[in-house]
Amino acid sequence: MTIRCTILLFAHLTDAIGQPELSIDLPDTTTLSDAVDTLVQQHDAIAELRNTLAFAVNESYATTDTVLHDGDTIALIPPVSGG
Amino acid sequence: MTEPDNNLHRYHRQMLLPDIGEAGQQRLREAHALIVGCGALGSAIADTLTRAGVGTITIVDRDLVEVTNLQRQILFDEEDVRSAIPKAEAARRKLAAINSTITVNAHVDDFSARTCARYIDGVDVILDGLDNFETRYLLNDIAVSRGIGYIYGGAVGTTGMSMSILPHPRARSQQASPRLEWSAKQATPCLRCIFPDAPPPGTSPTCDTIGVLGPVVTTIAAYQSAAAIKLLTGNLDRIDRRMLSIDFWSNQLRQFELAPAPLEDCPCCARAMFEHLHGDAASRAVSLCGRDAVQITPATANGSMDLNAVAGRLHAHGNFTVTPFLLRGQFATETGENGAALELTLFSDGRAIIKGTTEPDFARTIYARYVGT
Repeated sequence: MTIRCTILLFAHLTDAIGQPELSIDLPDTTTLSDAVDTLVQQHDAIAELRNTLAFAVNESYATTDTVLHDGDTIALIPPVSGG
Repeated sequence: MTEPDNNLHRYHRQMLLPDIGEAGQQRLREAHALIVGCGALGSAIADTLTRAGVGTITIVDRDLVEVTNLQRQILFDEEDVRSAIPKAEAARRKLAAINSTITVNAHVDDFSARTCARYIDGVDVILDGLDNFETRYLLNDIAVSRGIGYIYGGAVGTTGMSMSILPHPRARSQQASPRLEWSAKQATPCLRCIFPDAPPPGTSPTCDTIGVLGPVVTTIAAYQSAAAIKLLTGNLDRIDRRMLSIDFWSNQLRQFELAPAPLEDCPCCARAMFEHLHGDAASRAVSLCGRDAVQITPATANGSMDLNAVAGRLHAHGNFTVTPFLLRGQFATETGENGAALELTLFSDGRAIIKGTTEPDFARTIYARYVGT
């Protein structure tokens, strides 16, 4: 069994990856932490920013132990610095 | 024609709002807002709060007005550029002409762990007009330790973000006696509940490296100003407890629900570790004696800065080359006190030497602009 999640990228992550959205397939009973590990292996830009990102699942702030379900939307949110 | 109260009549349209009224307007008149950073966000916030009648506004900014500011920094004009006036002073003059009935304190200073004590007594809300994360984490420490509301805002490229922070009373210092208070239940997560660690230097783009769209900044500033007005008029339950994220180029506006309460293990608002306020996490800027140079040592130094990525972002600003050990080059448009072009040497642990100036605050500005903190 696998689940499919949509990844929304924000701010400069969108530019670094070259698109605002990704889709990933993950094993069933995956946590947000596992999903981020998978993304880190696939994308250097996410690896570089990982420790500074906030995460949301289905538009609510989520801690990395959150269990994911098929169809969930995960947002990767870097803090925005300028002003 | 009679006017019931000359001092309040100018706010008539604002007082018509049922949740503000004359009582709310009086509260605004008694309030003190601190705006740290008076660039694009800060000048828009200062303009709005001055017109709204916040009784005392303190502005701290270390920069001068430059021609590239005028595209988005709404308080400044070409005469300010010609006279190379500090932003804080230019803002004070404009704000005094807009509303002579309030008090505007302007300070030309680098707001840091070393200097902040001069500016935070009696403040009811802190508004973030900054261009770097190091100082934002300092503001968060101040807000939590003193029990003061802190309105975070950031904007770069075509994206912006804002979040209102009502710190949990549990981490407040015993000596703190804020004028405005809220219950533990009304408290929100703090900046470090959401973003535990400041991004390492060189990983966040800045307005000087990737540009910025004016309407994004004014929108975020408006959101911050509205949050401050709600807080200062006692309308705490109207404050948005979500994090706003906008991208005006891809036409996205999202509000993320934050955790309903601060995190149980937050180093700042749960464990009261104020590393940014007490200096452990502050960067150092030291003038190098006899060398016409300043060395910047970032707080979060590590060996992993991607110098090629930084060089890519600096491409439009001068001639920079990368060796296996360092990035080095000269700015085309930035000059020091003697008029010579500034030179940047940046090491992969984030340490930098900025040659052509002996002013630590100016060197920190250059570092924040082009390397990013």
